[in-house]
Amino acid sequence: MIKITDLEKYYATEEVRTIALNKLSFNVKEGEFVAIMGPSGCGKSTLLNILGLLDDPDGGSFIFNDIEVSGFNERKRAELRKHNIGFVFQSFNLIDELTVFENVELPLIYTGVKAAERKERVEAVLEKMQIMHRRKHFPQQLSGGQQQRVAVARAVVNNPKLILADEPTGNLDSSNGNEVMALLTELNEAGTTIIMVTHSEHDAKYSHRIIRMLDGQKVTENILMEAP
Amino acid sequence: MIRNYFKIAWRNIRANKLFTVLNIAGLAIGICVCIILFSFVNTELSFDKMYSNSDDIYRVNMETSEEYNFETWATMPNAVGPALEQDIPQIKRMARLIKDDFGATASLKIGDKNFTENNLYLADSSVFKMFDFEFLQGNVETAFSKPKSVVLSQTTKKRLFGNQEAMGQLITVNNHDTLEVSGIYADLPKISVMDFNMVYNIMDSWMGTNVYWSNASYETFVQLEPNANIPEIENQASALIDKYVDKEDQYFTKFLLQPLTKIHLYSAEVREGYSTKLGSITTIKSLLFLSLLVLFIACINYMNLATANSRKRAKSIGMNKVLGASRRHMLSLFYVETGIMVFLSIVIGYAISFLILPLFRSITGNELGYQDLLAAPILIGLLIIWILVTLIAGSYPAISMSSISPLILVNKSKTKGAASELVRKGLVVFQFAASIVLIIAVTVILQQMSFIKNKNLGYDPSGIVAVSVSSAETGQQIQSLIKSLERQVAVESVSAVQSMPGANESGRAVLKLATDNTGMPIASCRTDGNIVQTLKLNVLAGTELPETITEGDSIIYTLINEKILNYLGYQTPDEAIGKIIHTELGPRALITGVVENFNFNSLKEDIGGYMYYKSRRAPEGIRTLLVRYNSQNLSQFMEQLQSTFNEALPNTAFDYQFLDRHVAQLYASEERTARTATIFSALAIFIACLGLFGLAAFTAEQRRKEIGVRKVLGATVTGITQLLSKDFLKLVLVAFVIAAPVAYWLMHKWLLDFAYRTEITWWVFVFAGLAALLIALLTVSFQAIKAAVANPVKSLRTE
Ligand SMILES: Nc1ncnc2c1ncn2[C@@H]1O[C@H](COP(=O)(O)OP(=O)(O)OP(=O)(O)O)[C@@H](O)[C@H]1O
Ligand SMILES: [Mg+2]
Repeated sequence: MIKITDLEKYYATEEVRTIALNKLSFNVKEGEFVAIMGPSGCGKSTLLNILGLLDDPDGGSFIFNDIEVSGFNERKRAELRKHNIGFVFQSFNLIDELTVFENVELPLIYTGVKAAERKERVEAVLEKMQIMHRRKHFPQQLSGGQQQRVAVARAVVNNPKLILADEPTGNLDSSNGNEVMALLTELNEAGTTIIMVTHSEHDAKYSHRIIRMLDGQKVTENILMEAP
Repeated sequence: MIRNYFKIAWRNIRANKLFTVLNIAGLAIGICVCIILFSFVNTELSFDKMYSNSDDIYRVNMETSEEYNFETWATMPNAVGPALEQDIPQIKRMARLIKDDFGATASLKIGDKNFTENNLYLADSSVFKMFDFEFLQGNVETAFSKPKSVVLSQTTKKRLFGNQEAMGQLITVNNHDTLEVSGIYADLPKISVMDFNMVYNIMDSWMGTNVYWSNASYETFVQLEPNANIPEIENQASALIDKYVDKEDQYFTKFLLQPLTKIHLYSAEVREGYSTKLGSITTIKSLLFLSLLVLFIACINYMNLATANSRKRAKSIGMNKVLGASRRHMLSLFYVETGIMVFLSIVIGYAISFLILPLFRSITGNELGYQDLLAAPILIGLLIIWILVTLIAGSYPAISMSSISPLILVNKSKTKGAASELVRKGLVVFQFAASIVLIIAVTVILQQMSFIKNKNLGYDPSGIVAVSVSSAETGQQIQSLIKSLERQVAVESVSAVQSMPGANESGRAVLKLATDNTGMPIASCRTDGNIVQTLKLNVLAGTELPETITEGDSIIYTLINEKILNYLGYQTPDEAIGKIIHTELGPRALITGVVENFNFNSLKEDIGGYMYYKSRRAPEGIRTLLVRYNSQNLSQFMEQLQSTFNEALPNTAFDYQFLDRHVAQLYASEERTARTATIFSALAIFIACLGLFGLAAFTAEQRRKEIGVRKVLGATVTGITQLLSKDFLKLVLVAFVIAAPVAYWLMHKWLLDFAYRTEITWWVFVFAGLAALLIALLTVSFQAIKAAVANPVKSLRTE
């Protein structure tokens, strides 16, 4: 599903040039659950942004579903993104002005789903995430764990093939964190590919494979279990 | 999708209460101003469009020869109309009109009651058909079928006769003509330059029957055949001059057709027309410009506050993009939001315009009514405002915000903070520059007005009442009125004159030699004396005109001003005394006295030559008494004056004017300009301050954490207030630097209209700059102090 080869990303500020990704290569198969780990500043988020088609690499190749996407412009990336990829962030990033229901509904609106079907699908996801009773609430009225569940619901409502999670449990206590991890595992078992950045060895154990990075490069890879 | 935009937009609007209130307040004020001005402009533009022949009616104007400076006159000889009608086939009908007594107030007598009337016209009966007169009593055919008939407008009928029957009643005009009421017509439309209150048949007078090509006192209207060829008719008409007038008598060279619908607004350069209902296209243009400026300043508020707010919203925009929103989606969202905001502002602004309409009327003396606010063009105008303001005000925020990258979420996107900050500053500078220009303009205008009021005119117009005696039955009546006035304690002096200064003097020429062909044009005014004492003129040499002239004395005694003295080339005033002066008055005219120049006209004009004369056989009549009074109790004095008048002239209406008010009237349009500029500058600066207030609130909030940290580290409230206010005040200073030269240039140009003007002094600029600075400081410091005194622990914890 994903094949990156010699991926490079630089950040140039006035004084220094940072190499965030340095000829990074690896593959992810469909249905896999991959955890990415590494010290702070080693380029994990940068990688995830590129994988999520939010950002463009400066070098190397990125093949997504057999298409070379490096060099795509913002419009093309957005088009590909909205149909294929869901995001979960450490800081949830729910939209404060929208209710739970509306937050989850948003991706469907942008992919042009009709109102009746939207309602059905949003309610189904909320049911599955067990936050149906909270659907009229605004994000600030929810606990962190509930907010992250809404974020997960929003990420999956479009049935994306790939979910990217950047420290999804970083802002949660362990019981809420475990709940979110269980959710992700469940989604993965249902066939969704998941790539997750994490600092927690505990969370990483939920995955099939751990990729460890340092200074923008892959250092090791641990296979925990065979992907389906 | 649209519904979704509305929902989100509406929530955003409600979520940011302060910004919403500031935005709507500014926009509503701007829109309210626009609505009222649009209605005003709309009525001004609809003038004279309602007649069934509107498109085919033209006023004939004539262009004078070089001798008369190529002016355009609306009045012309009474021979023009009939000649045009006869010789030019494309002219269907013509109507001449002239105000009774060349525009002086008429005195009407009905039974034993006296009335004054300013709009009594003599006209050809063709006016009725031309201007769709609708007769309520009598009819078009019978109106002038009997000689000495007069028709009245309904309102005039009410005024003169109340509810009594008017048809067949007799009205004596100026104690010479007695007319019989032969018809009552529905009042002519308010938005028409045609202001007849009473019309009588010009053919009943020598003015209609005795046609000549010399005296130019008649307005001439023509109705053309549909689709007539205007330039062709103008050429044919101008050709008539050579046909009928001898070369040496041709003081006019061309006839021009002015469409009826253009008379109201486009007659600034046309002299001598009779209508009192003239507007000005320049006024309209400048008002439109100012109201759009105010609206634009309000739009700037919206742009600034919305973009300032964008950082707060950046995350949600980024998230929308992550979830698949395209740039178009975000653009639409912002435009919907702006559209809702502008819509609310329009509703509120529209409502306010109804509330403040009476205020507008009282300030401008305009007759705008509520129904004018409901006119279809206004509603269409509102729609256009809605769309335009949404597009303009929404453009910058929509474009800058919709381009926010989704990477903002992961803090990896360089925010375009710097660029948008610069734009925002630029816009604030523009707002304040415009406000400062207006403040300077207002100050200079007011300064000039006070300069005019306090300028020594060379005579003293205050304490003089001018009483019209033009309708006196006999000269004796006037003499006895003067006698009884002179006996009164409150009366200091009385002077009988042809005209008060600058009103109805006769144009003449003074010649250096009797044989000269051309001389200097002057104003000459007949008087029976006492003029120096009454007007308090300064005599440079010689004496006042003689008190009495013995019978058989055919000498014309004259009092000239310095201007004439200089033209005639005398070295000193004394030298001129007793010398002969050559005018068209006659050969035996002597200079009795020389007076200092005095501003008989508006201070916009240079002083011209002026001559008072006294003679037993004067060609002009006595029409006005100038009465200088000295009374603590003006109303009592006026009552006494009126009863004296009624005793002496029992059949004449008492019509008077205070000379100083007449003088003030010369500057009525400048007075209006001053008021308008004041209002607009107040509005502009107020709206700009709303925006500044919002920006200050925004900055204070944005820097809350910084302020908290600074306070924890020991910063004082004053220090922090200064820190927050400084940046804004810098903007005002930049605005001032831009505004000052612009204002100087504008006001310099405005002052050029006046022959007598104040200097634009440096303190005007200092004043305007300080005023803007102070207002801005007050606005900003409120927020700054609020932020500075806030408990730092609180702001740090909530971060
Ligand atoms: N917008 C940017 N401008 C300049 N440098 C950047 C930018 N974004 C990231 N970097 C640099 O790129 C490198 C990789 O950053 P990245 O955020 O990917 O690290 P990370 O592995 O996600 O760290 P963490 O675990 O702390 O989230 C870092 O050295 C960072 O300083
Ligand atoms: Mg990171």
